[in-house]
Amino acid sequence: MAQQLQSINLVAPAFKGVNTEDSPLAQDPSFAEIADNAVIDKRGRIAARKGHTVLTTNKTQLGTGSIRSIKEFRDDSGNTKIFSVGNNKILSGTTTLANETPGSYTITADNWKMVTFNEKLYFFQRGLEPLVYDNASNAVATLSSVSGANGMTSAKYGNEVLAAFGRLWTADFSTDKSTIYWSDLLQGHVWTGGSSGNIDISTVWPDGYDEIVALAAHNDKLIIFGKHSIVVYTGATSPASMTLEDTISGVGCVDRDTVQYTGTDVLFLSHTGLKSFGRTIQEKSMPISSLSGNITKDIIAALQNETEFFRSVYSPEEGFYLLTFTGQNVTYCFDVRGTLENGSYRTTRWPSTGFTAYTRLENGDLQIGTTNGISKYEGFKDNNLGYRFRYYSPSLTFGDSSRIKILKKLKPTLVGANNATVFMKWAYDFDTTYATTEFTVGNQITGFYGESEYTTVEFTGGQLTNQRSLNTTGYGTSVQVGLESEIDGSPLSLQEINVMALIGKLL
Amino acid sequence: MINPNMSSIIGSPPSVSGLSEQQIIDMVMSAQPSGTLPASGTTQTNTIADTLGGILGGIGGFLGSTGGQQALGTGAGALLAQQAYQRLGDIGERARREASQIARQGLEQTEFKPFTVTTATGGMMGVGPEGGTTMTVSPEEAALQQQLLGGAGQFYGQAQQPMDAREQAVFERMRAAMRPEEERQRLALEERLAAQGRLGVSSAAYGGATPEMLAMATAQEEARNRAMLTAMQQAQAEQAQQAQLGGQFLSAGYVPQAQLTAAAQPAMTTAQLAQRGQLEGAGMFGEAEMSGIEALLSSGITQANLMGQIGTGLLQQALQPTYVSGAGGGTTGGTGGGGGGGVLGTGKSMSEFLDDVIGLDPSGGGLFNIFKL
Repeated sequence: MAQQLQSINLVAPAFKGVNTEDSPLAQDPSFAEIADNAVIDKRGRIAARKGHTVLTTNKTQLGTGSIRSIKEFRDDSGNTKIFSVGNNKILSGTTTLANETPGSYTITADNWKMVTFNEKLYFFQRGLEPLVYDNASNAVATLSSVSGANGMTSAKYGNEVLAAFGRLWTADFSTDKSTIYWSDLLQGHVWTGGSSGNIDISTVWPDGYDEIVALAAHNDKLIIFGKHSIVVYTGATSPASMTLEDTISGVGCVDRDTVQYTGTDVLFLSHTGLKSFGRTIQEKSMPISSLSGNITKDIIAALQNETEFFRSVYSPEEGFYLLTFTGQNVTYCFDVRGTLENGSYRTTRWPSTGFTAYTRLENGDLQIGTTNGISKYEGFKDNNLGYRFRYYSPSLTFGDSSRIKILKKLKPTLVGANNATVFMKWAYDFDTTYATTEFTVGNQITGFYGESEYTTVEFTGGQLTNQRSLNTTGYGTSVQVGLESEIDGSPLSLQEINVMALIGKLL
Repeated sequence: MINPNMSSIIGSPPSVSGLSEQQIIDMVMSAQPSGTLPASGTTQTNTIADTLGGILGGIGGFLGSTGGQQALGTGAGALLAQQAYQRLGDIGERARREASQIARQGLEQTEFKPFTVTTATGGMMGVGPEGGTTMTVSPEEAALQQQLLGGAGQFYGQAQQPMDAREQAVFERMRAAMRPEEERQRLALEERLAAQGRLGVSSAAYGGATPEMLAMATAQEEARNRAMLTAMQQAQAEQAQQAQLGGQFLSAGYVPQAQLTAAAQPAMTTAQLAQRGQLEGAGMFGEAEMSGIEALLSSGITQANLMGQIGTGLLQQALQPTYVSGAGGGTTGGTGGGGGGGVLGTGKSMSEFLDDVIGLDPSGGGLFNIFKL
């Protein structure tokens, strides 16, 4: 007698993102083994990320280099200017990258950090004299050349700069890793006299020794990130009187460019993954939760293998925090709209994007630096090229790992994916050789009444969905299901996958 | 006017009660016959005798020539006058000698008697015969005095020390007293700053430190300044105190001596009483002695006056004009006086006659021996 097919419905598969920490067999089907070039869309589904549109048409000054940092300058008069760095130059503009490097100023590295402070844009990098730009002069100049500049010596050529509490703060010098200098009030070019000063926190580190990596201002507190510890000061509006509020040992920051503000939290990458400060007003304490708990090993491996820069960006519009390991050309996307039960963000991975810099503009646009110049995060093409969306479920046992499962059908429900070719894959018993079947999604362009009805498209509803039923073969005790699609101009969301299987005998 | 011859004879006797020098001189001058006296005082007696001898010789001659009785009377009267004169001189001399003896006795009697005062603490004050005073305090007092005077010297020496050295010393002592508390405060601040993670804060607005460190440094500097000013004041006060102590020690150093002197005061009074009695006794002695001398002088003067009056009477009687028989009497007499008959036929010269008969020689047995004093 024929057995009845057993339906295992993977509703909103991978909406919890990637989980490489737990055992595949014990995993919730809501996790994904692989979720490349994916994001969690607004309905909680796994979907293809957006692509980027290159804005730069003239990248002569950039040459073969890549944009390493981007910053939008704005002043109170509404003047804006996009600055970027690359090819050992200070660049401006988006379509045409203009060289803004001061004359007779030699730049040997592109690891600049740019901050806007009091109508000026400051450039800081370890071992190089800071630069400054303002709209009045419309030129980038060395800090010491500014009228009234004082006290900026080579000892203060810091790698980290923070504009907060009415001052500039700098730290992480070539030889001094425990001192923070602050400028005079509202004068980023005055570093001696006035109310300027410094603090040596070599005696404050909770573990005895550490090195300052990054600075942050949050909740009226000055947060000093060491490599392996964090020191929090309060009352930094009066730096000479600010007092130590908290110290956290065992957790530090890997790189200054991983620190991002989310409004309620400060995100940063530590040696054990992405971390954040949870804001607690009443307890006056700062518990730290791990936000990358589901991919900890992957993050640590990426950290250990990184040889270039770390770049990150927080986009409240997109609802994610991007963390890029430029040397490995991989980006992790953390959905910051909510955390899972274990306190982790839902995570996806964007491999081989070529992204080397990010910035979020005042209007919410996300700009990306690549070897092509400056791009905008939009559309579903990477510089007019497609990119591969990949989803693989964890190994599924359908509740009974002792019985054989014989897949009969896979019924994915896709949203979007206009004219995309979709590859459904499956494999048994942790095999990495997948069986594949493909199908092409039809025209999914929506036609609205009064706009495109009876003209170029068929009158449709809102978001178009596509559900297919695909025959499968083989058997095994555990099944892994995957879906890949080339994203080339159209979005794609995976609503659900319905797996039809026969439950076989006991092994 | 004093006769210089008399002055040489009389000399300068001490002034004693009774006859004064002038009185004696006046007395003698009143008894001196008119005529010229020999110029040399040392040979006055012989000269006078020679003169008188000459005179008597003349008288003898005269008696021998014209009337011996008259001549004898005249000679006796002159001799008596001369003896009275001589007697008065001897009386003066004797009075001066006796007065000198009384004066010497008065000096001996009124001579200062040395005495010594010994206090209950062992101090001694001795007054020597010359009036020199020797004070000796007891060994304990001497030691105390030495200590006090040494202390006075030390205090004065300290008072004369340069002020800056003492100011610095006082300042250092004050700082030494302040330093532990400052160190405690510094450590407390350090701990507080460490607890606040602010040990390494350096703010240009606060002199390269924290506000607390600046406040503490300011407070400590103010305290240091106050200490400096206080040290200056203290040094000045100490200088004044040293000087005052030096004065007190110096005064106290003389207290044993002063006490010895004070203790000697009753003895001094006693000595004065004794000396007063001594002086009074000597005065009474002198007065009594001088009274005797005056009485003797008075009797001597009276005797001399009597002798003078007798002599005067004899002279007056002898010089009265009377008739004398015998032509060769005068010649005999005169001759006898000069050529071998002698006075009054005694075969003696006039001087020998007077010595034998009248007894001009006081050691002889003549007439004048009845007036021997």
